[in-house]
Amino acid sequence: MISIVDYGLSNLACVASACAYLGYEARIVETGDGLEGSERIILPGVGAFGDAMRNLGERGLIPALNKSVVEDRVPFLGICLGAQLICRDSDEFGMHEGLGWLDVPVRRVDTLGEKLRVPHTGWDNIEILRESPLLDGIPPDSLFYFTHSHAAYPAGEDSVVATCAYGRPLAAVLQERNIFATQFHPEKSQKIGLELLSNFLKLPRDAV
Amino acid sequence: MLCKRLITVLTFSDGVLFRTKKFRPDYRYTLKFVDSWSVDEIVVLDVTRDPADDRRVFKTVVGEFARRCFVPLAAGGGIRTLEDVHAYLDIGADKVVLNTGALRDETLITKAANAFGTQCVVISIDCAQTRDGYEVRSDFGGRPTGRSPLDWARRAEDLGAGEIMLNSIERDGSLLGYELDLCRQIAEAVNIPVLICGGAGNWKHFEDGFKIGKADAVCTTNIYHFTETSIQSAKSYLAAAGVRVRP
Repeated sequence: MISIVDYGLSNLACVASACAYLGYEARIVETGDGLEGSERIILPGVGAFGDAMRNLGERGLIPALNKSVVEDRVPFLGICLGAQLICRDSDEFGMHEGLGWLDVPVRRVDTLGEKLRVPHTGWDNIEILRESPLLDGIPPDSLFYFTHSHAAYPAGEDSVVATCAYGRPLAAVLQERNIFATQFHPEKSQKIGLELLSNFLKLPRDAV
Repeated sequence: MLCKRLITVLTFSDGVLFRTKKFRPDYRYTLKFVDSWSVDEIVVLDVTRDPADDRRVFKTVVGEFARRCFVPLAAGGGIRTLEDVHAYLDIGADKVVLNTGALRDETLITKAANAFGTQCVVISIDCAQTRDGYEVRSDFGGRPTGRSPLDWARRAEDLGAGEIMLNSIERDGSLLGYELDLCRQIAEAVNIPVLICGGAGNWKHFEDGFKIGKADAVCTTNIYHFTETSIQSAKSYLAAAGVRVRP
């Protein structure tokens, strides 16, 4: 069963419809206990980092996520804010600790002094740095829909699969073992986004 | 590099899709004209003058879009409180469009941005021409506010808005082209994306919106419904004109 984690801030309907469109049934999980038996876990995201971490904590989701994803290695996909929450910390509205699965900081989009608008909103191309089952069949330079003011900025970590050059290149796709994350919204990126999501959903359970 | 966006705006009145002229429902049409795979983003607005029944029909339509279109979806109409924002997000909108509600209570912008992120908050600014410039109007363009669009755009950005959607009452449905000067002034004054709306009649107007108006996105409510040509053809035109768009 695919579990979509609900921590009270996200637009879950779209992720659930995308799964349904691809022929997968998904359930919405609001508590730590609900994660038991998950074969896939998706952590979507809209909202502020600090509120999201607080809500995850209040719903008992943090230890449950740690157990399922880090110990039991259930394939995991973090989307947008969900991709940021698995990182070390974020400076959005003050400093907040994240789940810390990846030792990567989340910072406000760094335009390097270029006249670029923040939030980074719209369709932008990614640069693929290395192979990942998530990007199977995805052409280089594919366009995905981004909408965010903060992003993960890894310093040379192996976890980066693809970047997006908006000022300083930000992490667009991350992967470490069974942990996948996209800063863009695959569920809002038309056919190419659905293809990426399908790659995640059809991944054999023990492939990563 | 970030693409310029083509946004389809759909206005509903009493749950029925209309195109508008000078902010009045003008011509009823059907959704089969919406090429949902080529469109970059969809904005759905409820312009019902006296909504009854908690906008139930409109909300059903929004929910249908959210289920069937894998594309960003912004929704607006009658948002006055944070609960109203939540209600639209709950049925599948990614962003909300605030207008009169934000003019009446500026703190709504900040509350929504803090709760759901700045990227979630689109401020729609309806402008009317005055003798010496432009004025912001509220309540379906009917009520003068005495505010300058430029100042309101800056203020909205400071309060936490993530995008500005600029609309011209005189140009709505006119097919005469966008209000380019005002758009450029606002685009140069704020650091958030600016969407221009109202008046597009041909593909050249889109090009002008980007090149002269400095908009990040051009919106159209009407243009696809007068011809058989599609969003694809508009995008081919723009690409040939050197504007980076999603194919």
